[in-house]
Amino acid sequence: MVTVNGHETTGVVGQSITEFLTKRDAPLANIVVERNGEIVHRADFDHTLVEKNDKLELISFVGGG
Amino acid sequence: MNEQQPEVQGLSYQDVYTGMKERNVKGSTAKLASAHVTIAGAGGLGSNIAIALTRIGVGHLILIDFDTVELSNSNRQQFKLSQLDVPKVVALKQNLQEFNPFIEIKTIQEKVTHDNVKAFFAQADIICEAFDNPAAKAMLLDAATEFYPNKPLVMGTGMAGIHSSNTITTKHPRPNLYLTGDGTSKGVEGLMAPRVMICAGHEANMITRLILGKTTV
Repeated sequence: MVTVNGHETTGVVGQSITEFLTKRDAPLANIVVERNGEIVHRADFDHTLVEKNDKLELISFVGGG
Repeated sequence: MNEQQPEVQGLSYQDVYTGMKERNVKGSTAKLASAHVTIAGAGGLGSNIAIALTRIGVGHLILIDFDTVELSNSNRQQFKLSQLDVPKVVALKQNLQEFNPFIEIKTIQEKVTHDNVKAFFAQADIICEAFDNPAAKAMLLDAATEFYPNKPLVMGTGMAGIHSSNTITTKHPRPNLYLTGDGTSKGVEGLMAPRVMICAGHEANMITRLILGKTTV
């Protein structure tokens, strides 16, 4: 089971990080993805695939400063 | 340390630091004076953070911002009307030097990109993110984790609108990452000095704690 921000999520195994974020309508440019404790660098979004039992944390930023 | 610097406005380094030590937390001033903090962004967050760190005598600051001062900044950013059109890093340095002329302040008037993160943050003990743009915030976390995974990174996200002060917090979601803000309010709601300063205060206090060896939030 894949967990995303602590919630169990189905149907995402095999998706690239880019696909996974796009399908969630997540604002791609404003998000940093942590996968099993490691940051997935943006350059690796297209070829990093979500695997069974992955723990994903999405760190989303909002504008203002 | 800059003890040998000439007097400024009739005040010596010793004068200014003796006064500062009276009110700084006991034993903190020497550690603060030797710390290097690089602040990325000199707007509402960055200008307020820089002032706070300057006042307590953080000894080495690098200010980075590509932008110039404009009128729409004045509701929250620590510039003066006389500084319109001046590069923000130049204007901020001028203001900081009036609070403490004895700290070292370097300025970089450029946009931070993934490609220059390695060079711009090489001297930092602590990296402070103070951008407005959410994609720039994400970029810096990504790049800082790549080039400087062992340097603490203090960030701000969500300080807009007129929501309760008490929704702004400091979180520590992974090693060396400190996230301040409410996490949700967006700049399009409007950004005003009181709430932006709360978030800036969270960032500045976390940086102070880190310099003084406290890594918990």
